[in-house]
Amino acid sequence: MAQTLKPGSGPLDYGNRTWLKILFAAIFFALYAPIFTLIAFSFNTDKRGVVWRGFTFDNYVKAWNNADLQEAMLNSLTIAFISTIIATILGSMVALVLWRFRFPFKAGYEGVMSLPIVIPEICMGVSLLLFFTNAGMMAWSVSFVWPFNLINIIIAHVAFCFPFVAIVVRSRLVGFNRQLEEASKDLGASEWQTFWNVIVPFMMPGLIAGALLAFTLSLDDFVITYFTSGPETVTFPVKVYSLVRRGVSPEINAASTALIVITVVATVLAMKLQAPDKSGKG
Amino acid sequence: MDSWKVNPRVFWTLFTPGTFWLVLFFLIPLGWLFHDSFSDKISITETQFTGTLANYIRAFDAVYLTIIWKSVWISAVATALCLLTAYPIAFGICFAPAKWKPLLLLLVILPFWINLLIRTYALIAVFRTQGYLNLVLGWVGLGPYEMLYNDGAVIVGLVYVYMPFMVLPLYATIERLDRSFLEASLDLGGSQVQTFFKVTLPLTMPGIVTGIILVFIPCLGSFLTPAMLGGANAIMIGNVIEDQFKAANDWPFGSALSFLLMYVTFGALALRAFLASRSKGVDV
Amino acid sequence: MTTHRPRFSAKRRSVLKGLGALGLGLTFLPRNSLSAEEKKLNFYNWDTYIGETTLADFEKASGIEVKMDLFADNDELFAKLKAGNPGYDVICPTNDNLERMIKANMVVPLDHAKLPSFSNMDPVFQDAAFDPGRKYSIAYLWGTVGVGYRKSKVEGTVDSWKVLFEEPKYAGRIALLGDAKLVIGSALKYLGHSLNTTDPAILKQVEDLLIAGKKNVKVYADDNGQDLLASGDVDLTMEYNGDILQVMKEDDDISYAVPTQGGEMWQDCLAIPTGAPRPENAHAFINYIMDPQVEAAIADFVQYGTPNAAAKKLMSKEYTENPAIFPPPEVIAKCEPALYLGEDATKLRSEIWTRVQAA
Repeated sequence: MAQTLKPGSGPLDYGNRTWLKILFAAIFFALYAPIFTLIAFSFNTDKRGVVWRGFTFDNYVKAWNNADLQEAMLNSLTIAFISTIIATILGSMVALVLWRFRFPFKAGYEGVMSLPIVIPEICMGVSLLLFFTNAGMMAWSVSFVWPFNLINIIIAHVAFCFPFVAIVVRSRLVGFNRQLEEASKDLGASEWQTFWNVIVPFMMPGLIAGALLAFTLSLDDFVITYFTSGPETVTFPVKVYSLVRRGVSPEINAASTALIVITVVATVLAMKLQAPDKSGKG
Repeated sequence: MDSWKVNPRVFWTLFTPGTFWLVLFFLIPLGWLFHDSFSDKISITETQFTGTLANYIRAFDAVYLTIIWKSVWISAVATALCLLTAYPIAFGICFAPAKWKPLLLLLVILPFWINLLIRTYALIAVFRTQGYLNLVLGWVGLGPYEMLYNDGAVIVGLVYVYMPFMVLPLYATIERLDRSFLEASLDLGGSQVQTFFKVTLPLTMPGIVTGIILVFIPCLGSFLTPAMLGGANAIMIGNVIEDQFKAANDWPFGSALSFLLMYVTFGALALRAFLASRSKGVDV
Repeated sequence: MTTHRPRFSAKRRSVLKGLGALGLGLTFLPRNSLSAEEKKLNFYNWDTYIGETTLADFEKASGIEVKMDLFADNDELFAKLKAGNPGYDVICPTNDNLERMIKANMVVPLDHAKLPSFSNMDPVFQDAAFDPGRKYSIAYLWGTVGVGYRKSKVEGTVDSWKVLFEEPKYAGRIALLGDAKLVIGSALKYLGHSLNTTDPAILKQVEDLLIAGKKNVKVYADDNGQDLLASGDVDLTMEYNGDILQVMKEDDDISYAVPTQGGEMWQDCLAIPTGAPRPENAHAFINYIMDPQVEAAIADFVQYGTPNAAAKKLMSKEYTENPAIFPPPEVIAKCEPALYLGEDATKLRSEIWTRVQAA
């Protein structure tokens, strides 16, 4: 590690270390190299996106006019948003219970709680298919209007996402100094005030990490979604896998690129709008 | 840590919703397949519960044990590589200027919002024999190398797939790491290296352990990455399980394999929780 | 074993000529009987595996709105419907999967009185070994599985499965499909047996052949063999004809052949799953698909072989004379459809395939 410090860089200013910056940039480059390829291919005239044949915007025009593709994208995003919210709340509660309390069979409870992480996706997908079919929920959800017809998928996504949130938030809570909580109570704060003003801010990085994880898991899930979806709820991954037989077109790349660009632009705008002193949060 | 009896109202409020969801939408559905794993197939679509252990015994056939062993070491290597790459990333984000943090965090996660299959295709485009990496290597007179369709490619692919599962828990623990500990260590004459291994690493251990669990276990069950990036003998246990539920139409055996995987991991996790609850302080 | 030999000389349906798809749809729909059913239909199919405007045209013609849900492969389709039908009216399984579904009572018999356009079908497709008398299904599109190859990298023309299974010359340049049924079936053909052989002794030979030939195989492709071929990662691949045809259009150096030993000839079918909520609409839709204009538009877009004799007449020479779509009759004579061989045979093949991959 760098022992010679440059002027102005304190021993803990790791953010200013050149070696860390270089390493950081290198890993980011590796992470993004395939993504740039994917973006480049969204401008490719080749239908299969294997060989570069020429530049075009056609794929964007086609994606823009492809109502099915947009519907699938909208379904996926809706499912991911709702599942993330529910999963983050449930997961945090489980994390809090595991962190705060001793109770009988706790080790077993923790083990069971991590089963959705362990279980092979297809096993969970099939078991939910059997459950929803036998409980009549499969046929029942079909009669609902959008977005309520996504209910089975959302239930399934929450079920496999929230243990991930729980485990991430829990690992964050381990570092909590209980004296802060006691100090808060000594100063006259109620249980609820303490929770809201002391514990939640401390949990925040864990909550954000957990929520991002849940969103990522939900957005990209194919197997469980496939087995829990009704006849009218095509999601983006289901569409993509179904395209494999006939060839995944660069339209999909165009749609994915649009998703990335929109997310980045929205985030940058949100950051600009935030007051500078708040922007560090999270 | 309090006993649940200290504040039963808070305990039940926090305990009930997640447990309810897990029981109703995970354990009960899983019951069907658990039941199936002790059943015999009696027709194309039906199984009959006979209490048989044949499905479990079949899993101990040499061919499946070979595949399981292979899955374990590939997952272990991928998890280790994931940790080595994710730690600097998480560390870098946590020590970056505050205003950059949200964007950096998002940028790390963003690639994983792209469909896995599309991402894998992109990975193939980079690494294939006439791909971009070989093109660049060609400029400096190297290659082309055959980089895909071997175990190494599967490992790289798995690292690429499960990176966020490692970065996010690490971020959650490194962020707001109590820096006074690091300062104390440096003030007391510890070198940066010593501080890292003696202070930073132990303090972030909960995140590391979580990350390892979240990467290693899903790696074990992965099937798309080995199928797309692996060579002729890339098969992993996830592929075998998938095959039982699909082409082989043998749900009892597929269930038995899945449950074996679960028993082992469940045992390991419960053991860890049990040991952690006995050793005081370091409770991960 | 029944061999399908499409002779596309079949009968004329001059009545149909000149009538647009729209008009036809209306003619064939028993309007009044529809009133009982909601004007909706759930079709379960592969994405883009239909004409670009087929569904919209059908809606215009019949007032029935079609929602197309998607699956990625036959095994997924089967697994999903195995637990019960959540509301699909028409499904598109491949022949052996269809046969399995027939045996498991997962599809219902068709009412041929409601399918007058069935007479447009080529006579060879009016019956099938896997569905005698076409009681449960109609043929939708068909094709073969053969060898796609890069002409400049392969000596001579490909006429034997040998190039894939035991030809050291091409070591490391070969992709096989990661599909037990197709790999074992093709190897059986190479050894001179029916691809529906269940004799364990012969299957053992196949296993040995595949394990011995594994050192030459670069990858068991996940249905992306055509991409591997197009990008130059392999020079020979086992693939579906339609997949290779797509890359052949963009790369003159790529060709496709069904080896002279023959191979699998598959047929995707349309059928009505048990518990379909709208069987009347389903019949109307299936009947509409068999209309020559409609089927011609589908075949033109999808570029697989049409089983519809009347539709084939409407197609361009480029399509009807393409050997990758319609292989020469002597090759067709050697090809067979895969049959559903029962659960034990499926298990045996699955185990062989696992052992081959793990070897």
